[in-house]
Amino acid sequence: MSDFTEWVRGATDPSMAAGKPEALTGLRVLEFCPGHFGGMVAASTLAEFGADVIKVEPPGGDPLRLVAPEDLLVAGTGLPFLSEARNRRFVTLATGDPAGRAVFRRLALASDVIITTEPPERMEAMGCGYLSLREEHPGIVYLYLSTYGSFGPDAGRRVLDSDILCQALSGGPYIVGEPEREGAAPLPHESPTRLGNWHGWFVQGLWGAYGVLAALHFRAETGKGQAVDMAGAEALMMFADYNITWMHTGGKARERVGNFDPAVFPYTYIRCRDGYTFMAAYNDEAFDSLMHIIGRPELTRDPRFATPKSRVALENERALLALLEEWSGNLTADEILAAVEGYTSKKSGPGAAVVTGRVNRPLETLAEENWRERGCFLRAEDPDYGELLLAAPPWKMSGTPARWKWGCRTPGSDNRDVYLGILGMTEDEYRRLAEAGTI
Amino acid sequence: MPSDPPGPGGFLAFASMAFDPAAIPGKPEALAGIRVLEVATRIFGPATADYLGVFGAEVIKVELPYRGDLMRYVAPEGFFWKEVSPAFLALNRNKLHVGLDLHPPEGVELFLRLAEMSDVVVENLRAGTMDEWGVGYLQLRERNPRIVYAANSGFGQWGPSAAGRASYDATAQAVSGFSAITGFPDQPPMKAGFWVGDYTAALMSATAILAALAARRRTGEGQMIDLSQAEAMIRTLDWTWPYAGLTGKDRARNGNVDPSFPPSGIYRCRDGFVAVSVRDGDESISLARTLGTADSKESPIAAPARVAAFCASRTVDEVVRRAEDGGFSAAPVRGGKHHYRDPHLRARGTVCPVDDPLYGRVDEYGPAPKLSESPGRVKWSAKPVGWHNERVFGELLGLTAGEMAALERKKVIGKWADVPGARPPKGSAAA
Repeated sequence: MSDFTEWVRGATDPSMAAGKPEALTGLRVLEFCPGHFGGMVAASTLAEFGADVIKVEPPGGDPLRLVAPEDLLVAGTGLPFLSEARNRRFVTLATGDPAGRAVFRRLALASDVIITTEPPERMEAMGCGYLSLREEHPGIVYLYLSTYGSFGPDAGRRVLDSDILCQALSGGPYIVGEPEREGAAPLPHESPTRLGNWHGWFVQGLWGAYGVLAALHFRAETGKGQAVDMAGAEALMMFADYNITWMHTGGKARERVGNFDPAVFPYTYIRCRDGYTFMAAYNDEAFDSLMHIIGRPELTRDPRFATPKSRVALENERALLALLEEWSGNLTADEILAAVEGYTSKKSGPGAAVVTGRVNRPLETLAEENWRERGCFLRAEDPDYGELLLAAPPWKMSGTPARWKWGCRTPGSDNRDVYLGILGMTEDEYRRLAEAGTI
Repeated sequence: MPSDPPGPGGFLAFASMAFDPAAIPGKPEALAGIRVLEVATRIFGPATADYLGVFGAEVIKVELPYRGDLMRYVAPEGFFWKEVSPAFLALNRNKLHVGLDLHPPEGVELFLRLAEMSDVVVENLRAGTMDEWGVGYLQLRERNPRIVYAANSGFGQWGPSAAGRASYDATAQAVSGFSAITGFPDQPPMKAGFWVGDYTAALMSATAILAALAARRRTGEGQMIDLSQAEAMIRTLDWTWPYAGLTGKDRARNGNVDPSFPPSGIYRCRDGFVAVSVRDGDESISLARTLGTADSKESPIAAPARVAAFCASRTVDEVVRRAEDGGFSAAPVRGGKHHYRDPHLRARGTVCPVDDPLYGRVDEYGPAPKLSESPGRVKWSAKPVGWHNERVFGELLGLTAGEMAALERKKVIGKWADVPGARPPKGSAAA
């Protein structure tokens, strides 16, 4: 181990994070995103960096708690909610009644950031719209997450924001999946394909958190708060490569091409003895390396494969995939990795850019030593929700590491703590509101 | 209790003024005054710096003289426009491009001097490479303890797979489990056709950088950030992990139906594809009513096959209209060709024209989060290798023309190779 490797391990190992300071200490975030996973991600991101996040749920709990693929519930809460419910305080509040609205406004005015997925009309009807809050609290940063955003011709479209809507509009699924074959009735899988996780919602939340941090940076310089408008449709859109620049400069649209790629090849999944593995070697030097690895160096002079441009013609991609699979079909993904590393370790620079990695099923990912050592997963223990396997914060930081502190709690678990401790309610006031069903 | 003005005042009226793209050039930038050094190739590092630059940071992109970032040669169907690849343009907005070789000692010293004047370093070289070159975090913090250093990699800076292992977007898609849960159950795992394993991690890296800058405001100190792109993708896989933990099973590939909100999914219409979405009981009932199954003995959740049949005989617009009338949600499946001409995205500046001094008009995706007071913006497009050498080495570092010429002769600094992807457009003053 080099000195650097030793140092960076000691400095960023997440098992050493407890006790170190947090990046966003002292920042209070109010999360009001019933039924919405993207809002949870935005709040979790800030919470993993140390913000004090208060999640407001309706009495009885957030509707997202009941979303349960395969009907799997743990103490009444489904796995999607459990996967993202971390590092926050859980309060309940009936925002439909006047007393609840007044409490909500007090919470908002005690916060630096509000994250909401509720439409502006509803927030205004509650007396907690951005304009009225900022009158009293000019430093507030107000993040609104929706499908289309709060301005532009489609802003008024009536939809209940969801991952599938965000994905569909983003341009992502449009270029994922198998194309239709010519002259045949399309098969079900020959269609734009959704990303299997809630990637649209996840990235909506992540961009929202990024916008909030940029706004907080500005506030620290100027004292000014602001509104942040984040359309879920536009989140994954930012990741759709060169869609717009290619349309503009070449008049060409990206279309779906299965596991091929219109700009780089080889850059695909290849069949191997134990499944599939990724194989990339697209610049000339890397391609030359790969052809040596598979024992076919003469193919670098084949006119179909001789230049980056010839390699990305779709018919040539298909031909090259067949040649690669002749070689890979008898090898395991690990043997392929060893062959690639054995050859490229003697090289540096562009010739070494042969890149591979097994297409893991989740259980295979969990079994990999690299993630175990790096603390990438954790087992949460909770008296209500038992033991849960969760992804840890992905950031390893030497000074103010992001960290997982606690997981899901039952609705209203932190009511006393928040209403008495932060809002300064008296026992009497708290009891009256509880008896009235407001909290 | 004060309340918002009723009726046409309110937030939506405010929003159309406060976020108006036409007003952006006159507003301040959120990250003004932050200087970023980028030592990165392809996507993961460059996109991280791009996200900072779009919100106002000054990004100095350090490329190896002559050929530069190898992403310059990633061109869809081999297409270059005005000697630049549209794929490179999309990742490198608002940057200052310098050609600087970090191998010779003079190159190291120039970089250290730049680092003294900078706030952030973003790199995505193999773990430990920058340290070997004498420009890693430990060396930089000697010169500038306030530096925030983001090391982007495939497998992390430490751990059994960290040493020397290269990674691309689809490495992260593959090894994380992401591809295994994407696609159809009776088909092979599907790689996302866009470089999602790079961008997702890039956004996480940029987010951590902003968190570290917030921490620095209090502590006065920078820090090192180690982000693996596979770990970034692992973090996005929502209920995959608790499901594996509780059941000991792999979550299945579920095709185009979202198993959390059935029958929400992507469906084929007569003229394209539509997303149908039901998120709560009201939407489920509304969908069932529209399908004509509300009073049958079927469960309130309509079967995907019923939705498929409903959509198959209709156009995308009809389904969207029926959803709006009927009380569930739907949206068209859109691609880049739709985005390019979409009046909504144009009005939001999400697709925006850039008036570039070298290339003329270039249309781009604009920033995703819209900020009312300090909005992001695309000010100029990517440039040839070394395009800003004089500005950075001369104006910023104070080198004389003679010193720069000497460094050019020693190949420490340099400009573009005479190849498509690296060089200026034909006929431009520089070419």
